[in-house]
Amino acid sequence: MKKISTLLLLLLLTTASCEKDDICPESTPTTPKLILRFYDISNQYDTKNVTSIGVTSLDENGETFVLAGFNGVTTDSISLPLRIQTTAENFTRFTFYKDFALDDNGTPNDPSDDIFSGNPDVITFTYKREDIYVSRACGFKTFFSELIVTVESDGENWIINPLILNRTIENEISAHVKILH
Amino acid sequence: MKSQHMLKYYISTILILLMIFSVKAQNNPDSDQDKSQDSTKFKQKYGLRLGVDVGKIVRTFIDDDYTGLEINADYRYSKNVYIAGELGTEEKTTSTEFLNSTSKGSYFKVGIDYNMYKNWLDMENMIYVGFRVGASTFSQTVNSYTIFNTNHEFPEATITESIDFNGLTAIWSELILGIKAEVFTNLFVGLNIQLKGRITETEPDNFENVYIPGFGRTYDSGSFGVGFGYSISYLIPLYKKEK
Repeated sequence: MKKISTLLLLLLLTTASCEKDDICPESTPTTPKLILRFYDISNQYDTKNVTSIGVTSLDENGETFVLAGFNGVTTDSISLPLRIQTTAENFTRFTFYKDFALDDNGTPNDPSDDIFSGNPDVITFTYKREDIYVSRACGFKTFFSELIVTVESDGENWIINPLILNRTIENEISAHVKILH
Repeated sequence: MKSQHMLKYYISTILILLMIFSVKAQNNPDSDQDKSQDSTKFKQKYGLRLGVDVGKIVRTFIDDDYTGLEINADYRYSKNVYIAGELGTEEKTTSTEFLNSTSKGSYFKVGIDYNMYKNWLDMENMIYVGFRVGASTFSQTVNSYTIFNTNHEFPEATITESIDFNGLTAIWSELILGIKAEVFTNLFVGLNIQLKGRITETEPDNFENVYIPGFGRTYDSGSFGVGFGYSISYLIPLYKKEK
């Protein structure tokens, strides 16, 4: 009887201890963001702040939204999430505003009637998706490869020249794209 | 003094019981051929025991993500040693928030069981430890996955094109602790727990063995695994031998 109860106890202990593996820890390095640094067109080795940058994109319903943290910050470096699509060729289109200002029309909770001001430049990142296995709980993450950048010409572009430093986005250690302005 | 007293009491009880049983045995017409022998000695059945894992059958019916069947057999080699083995197939779908995959394949295990239980009279129950070497050939399919992304500004992407990994193998060893009880003549029910350790396995490229038929689910922390068995088996007696 004693032996049987030991057996049952062992059985209980082993079943109770197998849940940790099923939760993906937030700290796991997963899908990286795209890192851009802004440099001075007159001196390409020096970084240069963009005054009051604003970044918008389109959501799944085609509605324009301002990316969190980019509603008029002055910085020389930004990191942006890329859209993950199930197709082989993926792209994300952003609008980068210089001297960005947001007029919410007196309705801060309703973004649909917001008016953006500043100098908008439409920039498109095209890339391929490469899914990398992480673990049973996290599943797969994605690396982006074969990055291409295009800036729509609108007659008054503030972005003069985007240069790709690293075509493959595997981590968030250093900048992938250098933008001259 | 007291324990000596108790010992005397035990011995006399056993003797009385033995006498009752031996009288009974002598009256039994089946034991006629044993007349020449000491009637307090009991003969034990030796033979081949065949069974199925009931746990796997029940789970097949109640768990939509699982299909499995295992037949098991053991052959009594000596008083306490049994040569034992299992043969089975399993199909298991494992799904987490971000990943859904299916493992499918068959396996066999061979080894020995050692009975540690001193049986009372002519009973043949077992409390045993066992050792097995197991091998499995299987395939895995990633059915779908949602790319893990901590940035939630764009919608999540779920990829539903399945990816197949075929021709996978794994070899492991097992330590078993179990009981088997004879509930009717020659019919046994058993319960056991298996502690396993992988020796080798084929690692799929850009994936891992999430579930190995026969071994069970794997853990991130190492090559260990656990399993449970609930068996019903029938003994085909081949010959009898004194205890």
